[in-house]
Amino acid sequence: MIVASLVYGAGPVTPLEVLATLVGQGSSEAWFVVTELRLPRTLIGLTTGLALGIAGALLQAMTRNPLAEPGLLGVSAGAGFAVAVAILVGASTATLTTLIAQAGALAGCSLVIAATRVQGLGNDPVRLVLAGATLSGLLLALTSMLMLMDQRAADEIRFWITGSIAGKSLATFQATLPSLVIALALVVVVARPLAAMALGERAAVGLGHHPGRIRFLITITVALLVGAATALAGPLIFVGLVVPFIARAFAGPDIRNTLWLCLPIGPAVVLAADVVSRLIAAPAEMPLGVVTALIGAPVLLAIVRAGRMPSL
Amino acid sequence: MHRYPFTMPDQRTLVANLVLLVLAGAAVMTSLSMGTVQIAPAEVIRALTGTTDDPMAAFVINELRLGRVMAGLLSGAALALAGCLMQTLARNRLATPGIIGIDNAATAFAVASVVGTGIALAPSAMALAGAATATVLAFGLAGANGTRGYRFIVAGLGIGAIAGAVTQVMLSQVAIDDANAAYPWTVGSLNARTPESVQLLALGLAVGCLALMCLSRAVNSLQFSDPVAITLGIKLKRTRLLGLGLSVLMTGLAVSVCGPVGLVALLAPELARSLCRPGKVPLTASALAGAGFMVVADLLGRTLFSPLEIPVGIITAIVGSPYLLWILLRPSTRSLT
Repeated sequence: MIVASLVYGAGPVTPLEVLATLVGQGSSEAWFVVTELRLPRTLIGLTTGLALGIAGALLQAMTRNPLAEPGLLGVSAGAGFAVAVAILVGASTATLTTLIAQAGALAGCSLVIAATRVQGLGNDPVRLVLAGATLSGLLLALTSMLMLMDQRAADEIRFWITGSIAGKSLATFQATLPSLVIALALVVVVARPLAAMALGERAAVGLGHHPGRIRFLITITVALLVGAATALAGPLIFVGLVVPFIARAFAGPDIRNTLWLCLPIGPAVVLAADVVSRLIAAPAEMPLGVVTALIGAPVLLAIVRAGRMPSL
Repeated sequence: MHRYPFTMPDQRTLVANLVLLVLAGAAVMTSLSMGTVQIAPAEVIRALTGTTDDPMAAFVINELRLGRVMAGLLSGAALALAGCLMQTLARNRLATPGIIGIDNAATAFAVASVVGTGIALAPSAMALAGAATATVLAFGLAGANGTRGYRFIVAGLGIGAIAGAVTQVMLSQVAIDDANAAYPWTVGSLNARTPESVQLLALGLAVGCLALMCLSRAVNSLQFSDPVAITLGIKLKRTRLLGLGLSVLMTGLAVSVCGPVGLVALLAPELARSLCRPGKVPLTASALAGAGFMVVADLLGRTLFSPLEIPVGIITAIVGSPYLLWILLRPSTRSLT
């Protein structure tokens, strides 16, 4: 998929030329297309897929809900709303955007966790999703209202809100790197306790883990990941649903295997969607978020339609 | 028992309907008199009856505001009626056209005809086709699992997401002018209406109301379990099909006027149900509440940040979402669905 993402796209660059460019030979035009346009895009797609896939897997494991997905539950919408507010008041540097998106994601994620503690809701996967979708709708409406207030900000927000990894500079990517490293380190820390929690909270306590502390760490991790991904690509829906879904099919019940598999599958899904979005309407482009929705919604239908909800 | 297919409303329902009617009337009057130019209510009445001396007032009221308020009134009533009907048919309080994706599908089809993907049907017809497609999909996918519970709703959520994405695809494909023309459709606004679509909506609403008057006893009996309804002499299959058809008709026509204005179809029947006598399906009260709600929301959108205009769909989403969240999150004492 990395290769495909580098090779395909608008602009007359043949696969051979791409290879030649990568090893240091090739025309200057091809060099520009590949290193200036496609390489950043591929890198950003890679990170976004990685972050969203892992965040989805973590959230699903913690809430024991195969439908818990950052995009559906309003975590991405929280990050998106925070960034929209930031753009409106005039902040636009990459570092700040990332931090703000992560703060928004943290708020959204905390809300979700709080909601799962509400009586009865934690046991009803589908009801939680509906509440999350409502929250997303509310935040989206508020974002649209902000966009109407300020035409200049609106253009900036609209470019970003449909979910696209085109035309993003490497500066944003660099800004998200530190938090991604922290988040991945946290994932390594929580993976083992999380696997224990799959046995039930009592069993986890018996094995010497602290469910409260783990929940707190996971909330932070998910917020860091989703915030970074949203700052990079806008609120992408359904990636966090599809990636763990595929990973679980291969990995079986152990969350650690699922997390490992998310590493290659997440980037593959996002890059594939991005290549499709470039090719399907060439020379124009379709927003990436639209493609992921078209891929992800049928998966959602399939999970809901399955006679027995796969329990986690 | 009943010799006639329709039943007389009881006292409480009658009072509730009257109150809602008065409120909707007040909303209409306020909406007509407020705006960029303020016109006194007395002047509004004179302008409506054609006895005013002020040509400006007559123009503003009759040419600019009346059409818009009528469109809001009709689409609100139609959406609320469709919502109430679908909730009863699916026996699920959350099963309103907006939540299970029917609005979005109707919008996708209507946008297809606006941006001209080679389909020359009018937006109203296309919106109807879209609403019908999504309804068939939603109820078809529900299949053996039935329409109760949350699964049905989340399946609808998926349908809505697909339709929304398709709308985005079409908007991203066309020239920016066409896309801007179709933009109000995506958020729900009373700006994009055409006079023909409003007339069609009025016609459809009239047909729907007449049909519902004849069906009201059957619809009321649908609240009971199937065996009870059959014992009461209700032809279940026919009632369900007719009810769904009417619901599709009204949703499609309303969406072709105002786009996917969310949550009117959920809030209005909720309000009506809390006012009217329990045990009956409050169709009339829902329609009145929906009409009033829509007019008030549009009034707020027009005047709150004037001269900026906020589409009515955004207002209903901001007002309605917290309520829906509250329904979903409160520790439930009784079943929702």
